[in-house]
Amino acid sequence: MTREDNTPYHRVLVLSLGVITLAPILVLLVRASASSWRYPALVPSQSVHDTWRTLLFTPTIWSALATSVLLASLTGVLSTAFAFVAARALARATPTARRVAAAAAFLPVIAPPIALGVGVQVFALRAGLAGGNAGVLFAHLVPASGYLTLFFLGVFSAYDFAMEDEARTLGASSLQRFVRITLPALRPRLIEAMLLGALVSWGQLALTLVVGGGVVRTLPVELLAFVRTGDDRLAAAAAIILTVPPALAFGMLQGGVRQSGVTA
Amino acid sequence: MSAQDGVVVRDAHITFGARVGLRHVSLHVRAGERLALLGPSGVGKTSLLRAIAGLDALASGTIIVNGIDLTNVAAERRGIVYLHQSPSLFPHLSVQDNVGFPMEIRGATRRDARKRAGALLERVQLSAFAERAPSTLSGGQRHRVALARALAASPSALLLDEPFAALDPELRSDVRSAVLALLGDERAPATIVVTHDIDEAVSIAHHVAVLLDGSVAQHATPATLLAQPASLAVARFLGLPNIIAGVSDGAGVVTSPLGTFASALVAGPAVLVSRADALRAQHVPTYQVGISTHGLPQAHIVAVHERVGGIMLRVRIDAHELSAVPIDGASFAPGDVVALHVDRARIHVLSNTT
Repeated sequence: MTREDNTPYHRVLVLSLGVITLAPILVLLVRASASSWRYPALVPSQSVHDTWRTLLFTPTIWSALATSVLLASLTGVLSTAFAFVAARALARATPTARRVAAAAAFLPVIAPPIALGVGVQVFALRAGLAGGNAGVLFAHLVPASGYLTLFFLGVFSAYDFAMEDEARTLGASSLQRFVRITLPALRPRLIEAMLLGALVSWGQLALTLVVGGGVVRTLPVELLAFVRTGDDRLAAAAAIILTVPPALAFGMLQGGVRQSGVTA
Repeated sequence: MSAQDGVVVRDAHITFGARVGLRHVSLHVRAGERLALLGPSGVGKTSLLRAIAGLDALASGTIIVNGIDLTNVAAERRGIVYLHQSPSLFPHLSVQDNVGFPMEIRGATRRDARKRAGALLERVQLSAFAERAPSTLSGGQRHRVALARALAASPSALLLDEPFAALDPELRSDVRSAVLALLGDERAPATIVVTHDIDEAVSIAHHVAVLLDGSVAQHATPATLLAQPASLAVARFLGLPNIIAGVSDGAGVVTSPLGTFASALVAGPAVLVSRADALRAQHVPTYQVGISTHGLPQAHIVAVHERVGGIMLRVRIDAHELSAVPIDGASFAPGDVVALHVDRARIHVLSNTT
């Protein structure tokens, strides 16, 4: 921070930003770790352990966790594969085609999930996918592919295609170029993309509810159920379970960014 | 050595969209020879190189390498290595693995590939950098690694696209030496170097092809190119500093402010062209100014240019401004009068219409 940035005004702004972003997380931590101990009880009526035991012994939590992990993993891998191929083709297309494709990729990103869900549900119903994991996976792939196409358009705008041309004239077949040059050279970006794609799916609620019709139970859906029942301690604990993986993924992304030498 | 040996380009046409870029281009580079493709930016030099490599298609024409028609063969099966202006080393491989790459993809074990790569790195004096990442190398070192990697593919032809353009003068000389050392024997592949730097072209190539207005304007040895440009356009492109008008009498004599010259041109306007060192300037004592100096034409110095290669004088004779070099170690100043010693053998006479 320069001297000009270190005025009281700026310090208040930075502090406010910290409070705004961290406060909800702190509240979660407090609520999930607080005991129920109200006056005039002499001892807590419910301990921290009770909250977590109740949550972890709820059978639907584990199946919801498994469903979320499955959907997030598949969304990460499939949307990365789709976006990688699409953006790679677009990177060598005409500027007009790139602009049109970027605008198309933006649509599922900027469209409200509930609106997107309605559109996807029509398709899922006709395809017989509504109310099942396949339909929800398809729904999650729509925004994830949009995000990742934009991500890879950025990656390929800085990618050295000349490297592949040289590998080609050195005698490398298209498969050899892909496996030995393209994939290793872009490995960090591919990992980042898979994590981003998985995160889009991981936190998705509106699309899951609309297309899954309440039958597909993911962690966000279970969390919503806890909120509806008014059990804020269980809801907070479930929210923590929902928050930990993205936080870890963010840490990995930051580590990857530092290793690649890119600075914010 | 057969007529089909090396790289033969026959009647190549290259188009840029609806516009014709190059037409009727024919070239022949034998194994062990280096050809420089010289031309202004945008004339289609890189496009021609990429077409020879198989990275882009010719609109029409034929590419034959060692007697085999490769026009419709995929780039990876042509045995022609193309190097970009800024060599693209593979960032995830060490220097030695980069050089070993062409051998590994041909089925060599990693151990064998690394062994031969080590030998090639020795030839480019980069053995000490074998385990380094490409990102830690300087520009010149990267070029040398790319050259070693290209030779590891044992190519029939090597295409270098502006190999020195992105380098500062010191590194340029370093890479030029590496090119000459690696490609200096008869076993070297036929090599085509694209450049727009005339000095570079004449210093590394056995032959130079000048591309002007979409076609080969001249294909000659460096010495012939500089001494006898095929046309006024080539002379202008080469930057020959002395272009002076004359008149041919049609009977074998061209008259000009520099004197008379033998020529077989038909009667009409003619042009005399030369390098600066065809004219050597000598001080004229004040008492001889305007008086004949042993038949040498006199000129006034307009400017004195200090250059890395020595002093260059700009002199005016009649309405013409020419370049000359000093004949002695004397100092010159604008306004001085000099006598010009004309090396007649190095003055080339052209028809004004060419």
